[in-house]
Amino acid sequence: MNRSKSLGVALASVLLGGGALALAGFALSSASPHQAALNCIPSQTAAHTCSLSLSTFPDSMAGEQGNNGGVHPDWVSYSNDNLAVPANTTVDVTINQYDSGGSLNNTFFDRVMGTVGGVAIIDGKTVSSVDPTNVGHTFTLRGIPGSGKTLFVSVPLPADSNTKPVNIGQGQYTKPVVVQFSFKTGSKAVYEWNCEFPCGSTREGQFGEAMSAYGYMSGTLTVN
Amino acid sequence: MTTSNNKKSYRGLFLTWAILTIAGALVGIFGPSRLMPRSMSDNMHLTILTMVVFTVAAAPVAAGVYASALYALRHWAHKGSEVPPSGPAVRENAMFVTTWLIVSTLLTVFLLIWGLGALAVDNSSTGKNPLVVDVTGQQWVWSFSYPGTHVSSPQLYLPDNREVEFRVTSKDVTHGFWIVNMGIQVDANVGVITTIHTTPDKLGLFNIRCEQFCGLNHAFMVTVGHVLTPSQFASWLSSQPQQA
Repeated sequence: MNRSKSLGVALASVLLGGGALALAGFALSSASPHQAALNCIPSQTAAHTCSLSLSTFPDSMAGEQGNNGGVHPDWVSYSNDNLAVPANTTVDVTINQYDSGGSLNNTFFDRVMGTVGGVAIIDGKTVSSVDPTNVGHTFTLRGIPGSGKTLFVSVPLPADSNTKPVNIGQGQYTKPVVVQFSFKTGSKAVYEWNCEFPCGSTREGQFGEAMSAYGYMSGTLTVN
Repeated sequence: MTTSNNKKSYRGLFLTWAILTIAGALVGIFGPSRLMPRSMSDNMHLTILTMVVFTVAAAPVAAGVYASALYALRHWAHKGSEVPPSGPAVRENAMFVTTWLIVSTLLTVFLLIWGLGALAVDNSSTGKNPLVVDVTGQQWVWSFSYPGTHVSSPQLYLPDNREVEFRVTSKDVTHGFWIVNMGIQVDANVGVITTIHTTPDKLGLFNIRCEQFCGLNHAFMVTVGHVLTPSQFASWLSSQPQQA
């Protein structure tokens, strides 16, 4: 093989390899691991205000995981992991908490942080913190690298000790604890949120399984 | 090749080495302060100085390698299809081997002494009324509390020109507490408190990241910090809700 032919083969190999890598990168970046977006519903009475309604379940039977709870029907879950809200808006959030709970491993998360007034309304009662030994989950939202945004919202969701049965989708639960709070969005950005109560498997400090997979106890909030 | 040709070639080799050494040294002197994040503490100043010194020290060695490679390509490129005869082994050149050994040893000892000294300075405390901050990593949020105040925050607030003692731990897996602009990088281990000191000396915002892969949202375990004037810091501290 002469020198120019060798160089041509080498160049073609490099270009093909680079192209394959670029294609794989594009495919990975285009593939979203998240569910269909849950859009914030604009208020009919107040300007620049919208509402989001979420639930937390002790399993995956009533959320967006698919028929019969998807591949992990026994994993705890939020009802949706892909939230979309408008920019520069007050977002009124209602979370129906259907799961039991226990003690936080970090009492930092028993406080309500980053909400309007630094408070949440839990079953009609305004609070700024909850009992750290009786928490089901948390909704903890924060900025991501490169966005330059510093939004931080964390609200503890007390454990559900009600006994009145309710049916939602394919799931059977008890009457939920209702947690309401509001926070303000800024300009366009994508934030990440997750639960900070150790509700996954016993591995990794109970941060395995549902805590370590998209679609269950973590997700994104897109401000657009 | 004649002796005069040899001398000419070696002069070329020396010139190439000298030019590459100067280029490497210039990169070493001016590169780190421009390429690294804005320095906001004594530790970061030392880190950047170490980068400068190590790069300048490495410049003549790297230049020697590149100059030799260029020289070999220029003068020893083999033409033809026959296998060329072997040249004399380098190990038989006593002067070369001795010089190489001495220079390598001196450089290594210098880097070792500098590194140990920098590490000792990096971990030292002045003991002058340091502000203690408890740092807790938990998948995937950093939290900071100020002992004796019942104040905790998801962002880090520090006063300017006062030594800070970070007591770093984790609630679940191993995290890496990294204050990018302050040259602070220490593992956060479960059940262990690791202390590290720094003194912020620039006002403004800085970035905090996790530098140990810690699970699903490791890439999002990031927050910001603020260096405030002492009076601003006192105001911030007194305005915070007290956690029980």
